[in-house]
Amino acid sequence: MVIGLEEYLVVAAILFGIGLYIALSKRNAIAVLMGVELMLNSVNLTLVAFSRFSDTDVALSTQVFVMFIVATAAAEVAVGLALAMVVYRNRHTVSVDDIDLLKW
Amino acid sequence: MIPLAKWYDLRDLSGLSEEITGWIGADWLASLVSGLLGALGVLAVVGPTLLILIWVERKVIARFQQRYGPNRVGPKGLVQPVADALKLVLKEELRPRAADKYLFLLPPVLIFLPALLIWGVVPFGPNMQVADLNVGVLYLLAVSSTGVIAIFIAGWSSNNKYALFGAMRVVAMSISYEVPMVLALLTVVFFTGTMSLNGIVEWQQSEDLFLVLMLPMTAFMFFFSATAELNRTPLDISEAESEIVAGYHTEYSGMRFGLFYAVELLNTLAISAFIATFFLGGWWLWGLDEWVPPWIILLAKTGGVYFIFIWTRGTLPRLRIDQMMHFCWKFLVPVGLVFLVAAAVERTLLLENNWDASIALPVFGIINAGLTVVAVVTWAKLSGTESQKLPSNAIMARGRVGGLRAAQAIRVDELGAEPVAGGGD
Amino acid sequence: MSDVGFHLAFWSLSAITIGAALMVVVSRNLIHAVVFLILSFIGVAGLYLTLSAEFIAVVQILIYVGAIAVLMLFAIMLTPRAGRDNSETGMRLPALVLMGLIIAAGTFIGLETDWGSMRGEAIDNQARIIGESLINEFVLPFEVAAVLLTAALVGAIALAREDPEDGSLHYASLLEEGLISPDEPSDAAPLSGTPGGGD
Repeated sequence: MVIGLEEYLVVAAILFGIGLYIALSKRNAIAVLMGVELMLNSVNLTLVAFSRFSDTDVALSTQVFVMFIVATAAAEVAVGLALAMVVYRNRHTVSVDDIDLLKW
Repeated sequence: MIPLAKWYDLRDLSGLSEEITGWIGADWLASLVSGLLGALGVLAVVGPTLLILIWVERKVIARFQQRYGPNRVGPKGLVQPVADALKLVLKEELRPRAADKYLFLLPPVLIFLPALLIWGVVPFGPNMQVADLNVGVLYLLAVSSTGVIAIFIAGWSSNNKYALFGAMRVVAMSISYEVPMVLALLTVVFFTGTMSLNGIVEWQQSEDLFLVLMLPMTAFMFFFSATAELNRTPLDISEAESEIVAGYHTEYSGMRFGLFYAVELLNTLAISAFIATFFLGGWWLWGLDEWVPPWIILLAKTGGVYFIFIWTRGTLPRLRIDQMMHFCWKFLVPVGLVFLVAAAVERTLLLENNWDASIALPVFGIINAGLTVVAVVTWAKLSGTESQKLPSNAIMARGRVGGLRAAQAIRVDELGAEPVAGGGD
Repeated sequence: MSDVGFHLAFWSLSAITIGAALMVVVSRNLIHAVVFLILSFIGVAGLYLTLSAEFIAVVQILIYVGAIAVLMLFAIMLTPRAGRDNSETGMRLPALVLMGLIIAAGTFIGLETDWGSMRGEAIDNQARIIGESLINEFVLPFEVAAVLLTAALVGAIALAREDPEDGSLHYASLLEEGLISPDEPSDAAPLSGTPGGGD
């Protein structure tokens, strides 16, 4: 059996699902960020798999897009963690259950 | 087998993987076996060198400090490293009870991975690399940045306040000094146009010069950042015994500590090999590699750079952490960026105008040397990193009680005739 | 793509990646979760290598393992010990259902779509081609990404610093205003029961 595009897509879908579960159901804000990183990784994996198997001329532009996603993920993690630390400094908690001032 | 003129004259290993495929048959099994053989070969070269290096380092540092080194164990102390290794193996390996059980065992193993992996891209000869990656330089940076996690987990899982402080300081220093390292290597890649290490050596071979002559400040920047990454003096806050006991490996004993120690030496040897490859021409030495096997040339250059590492360790005092950070972010990064732009401009001029490389490159070398002097002096003055002016000998003699501080308190009035004594005369 | 070695590599790397991601969900200690996340990142880098995307694999290790994981470890260290047990909120069941739906949808689309003709071999010399695309066609997104990273850098520093002149963020000012009590356990040092007491 030849390993083709479909296997990579299934692996990426499973990773995305796990990342989604972590992002939706964890109590610590940093754990939520870990789930977001897993989701971004799965998207990158999908894009690189398509770039490898695509028969067009612009196949490597997909990898350029992956580079941008990696850069944006790094920036987002930095700002997200800085926000988590500021929230901790003001509210003394990082649990997403307790940060609910804007709820009606 | 591979026909060899003499037993050490191994200079072309490219036929080896075909031979192994011929023996074994299955393609994937052959690459697995040849990978294992490559790793074993690297360990065989590097392992005994490590033992000899411990001896060399202790003896040379001792000579710098005007004392004998180890000279009791064996003739001239040559068996000392073996005695050290035996002691470490036989010691009891303690684990603090409150330390995290699995996370405590992970760092000695985790820190050994990058130390061995980076040996895969060192070019020992024209065809003698474990893996000639197209992105060799980036691989070096990526793999050496994973060692930082092992240090952090070591400090954290020891459940010891001082180990955590030491680990945090070392991690902050390591990730700060990765930036000048990346800038220096990017400058080298700009000049040579390739990220493969064998390609960099072959560029130096084709242009007939060492890169250290073209990019002196870049070589210094890489050397200094490597000193920081390796946690050697003058930047060894992790081992500042008077400050934080032993830093992140306080709670490790026995062979676990032995692994940290061995990894530090292995990393130093690997970075010396990389400096020899990037800046000193690697396995090429103006045609000498016809007679002498290229891997011997590379090992000789590596030994030379390692001696420079030992030299700086033996002579320079330790920097404080704020001095270290200031130097990295406010001095090395701007100067490195200036050289990055200069290298890019020079390379573009060379390529676009199709100049004759044998005339243009020495001119660029002289321009770079001048730019080094100008950039370093002006930026040092601007950013406050310039060296301190000591008082003159006469004033030092007058402030004899209290030394330098007393001498500095002696003010010379504007006529310059008679020094007016301040406090502490 | 069909020989034994490739199958071995792909299936073991996929098992490592998905196994590590599952351990991130399940482990009871947040630091263990981060270590398993690092393992998952390395597994994904291995999968990139099976796809012959050598440049992206090395960039993944350099940025995700070398920078983002270290950032997460620092942030966990600077936040309270009470939140480090990696527990879950009450939204577990809806999240589980959603996860199942997304995995099912992704797998179904991935397996059932006819993806057309596929390329046999990988492209050679990828770093050079990616670099040239970044400078020639994609120079505007490149510059915008540079501005984004600078903005993130400045923003993160501005958010996370404790400004002594600006009294609103300082610990002493909070203490003074009575918003926090003085014997609040600080969690910068994970020691308890040392002589001198926990901090």
